[in-house]
Amino acid sequence: MNDTLISSEHIVLILTAIIVGTTARILNLKEDYRQYPSYPNGYLIHLITGFIAAALGAVAIPALMTKNFVAVTFLTIAIQQFRDVRKTERDSLKDLENTEYAFRGDAYIDGIAKTFEARNYSTLIVSFITALTIQIVNSKLIWINILCGVITGFIVFFILKRFSKGKTIGDIADVKEGKIEVKGSELFVDGIYVSNQLGTENSRKLFEEGGLAVVIIPREEHFRITLDNFGQRQAALFEATRSIGVKRYHFTRKDFENGRIVISLVPIIKDVNKLIETVKTTPLLESTKKSQSVMQTNLTGRE
Amino acid sequence: MGRESSPRPNYEILAFITTDKEKVLGGNALSLWAKDEKTAEALTVDVAKALKADVVQMRSGDYLILRV
Repeated sequence: MNDTLISSEHIVLILTAIIVGTTARILNLKEDYRQYPSYPNGYLIHLITGFIAAALGAVAIPALMTKNFVAVTFLTIAIQQFRDVRKTERDSLKDLENTEYAFRGDAYIDGIAKTFEARNYSTLIVSFITALTIQIVNSKLIWINILCGVITGFIVFFILKRFSKGKTIGDIADVKEGKIEVKGSELFVDGIYVSNQLGTENSRKLFEEGGLAVVIIPREEHFRITLDNFGQRQAALFEATRSIGVKRYHFTRKDFENGRIVISLVPIIKDVNKLIETVKTTPLLESTKKSQSVMQTNLTGRE
Repeated sequence: MGRESSPRPNYEILAFITTDKEKVLGGNALSLWAKDEKTAEALTVDVAKALKADVVQMRSGDYLILRV
């Protein structure tokens, strides 16, 4: 009977790895001003998929130890599952596009979905490394095994977290309040033309009284490539409208001469500091990021 | 850029309101003639409200009602 049951060392190994992996997912599931994923159902979904990812990483080592090499192929199922996480996340965000204040945009949605997929991978790696450490240490004292596993697991988690951490607009650009001017039908912010859709008296009054605008000024010339990107501007505009709401009108415009970007809207909560903070913390999208140093470096060797 | 979902927005002109009879031409969009500035403005606001659309006042004084 006992032959068919799993040994207590393996139970300790699997349980520790699952717990460390799931904890890593919980720590990665942070609530910030973006409030996404939403609480409680969004959280539950990602905690459960994180738990499954951790479980898959945890049982890989015991499977190998019992010479069950074929069992490792279930890692391919894990990959499939994580790709599904990305796909469902993307689908659900795309479904919401028409109900939001502004469009998130395809680039931003892609970035969010990829992040969710990547976090499942990091959960899997953390739990796998935890299990591996316990197996390698293989001390007679169970507590030493567990302690070593947990410590290594968390070190790996923090390395991965550091590695996958993205930058924000505030890291590469200054954001300051812009001065709104309405000249006839046209809207100007700090002298930059933004829109001519203020054709009626109502809209002009609305913008003059309740309008807010910020100007993003890139710190280096080459950052303009990232900031000018349509998807990146859309993401900043989305975060702006989401955090302070929008009564009517939201525009972004780029200035060709100096590379300044204008974001302007008539918000529900008129608080320019909140707007500046939100734009500053908007993530730089992976798809728009360009590394200047890589572009200059001769990576592959030229003749 | 505001409500566009792509860098190539699909703007649609819904109506054109003018005080100049010669500018009232046929076409897809509704073209309306108003007898004076005040009527043109009132007409524009009414049509734009009904269609939930944006208004552009052109330099000539004519109104364009459009939507992304």
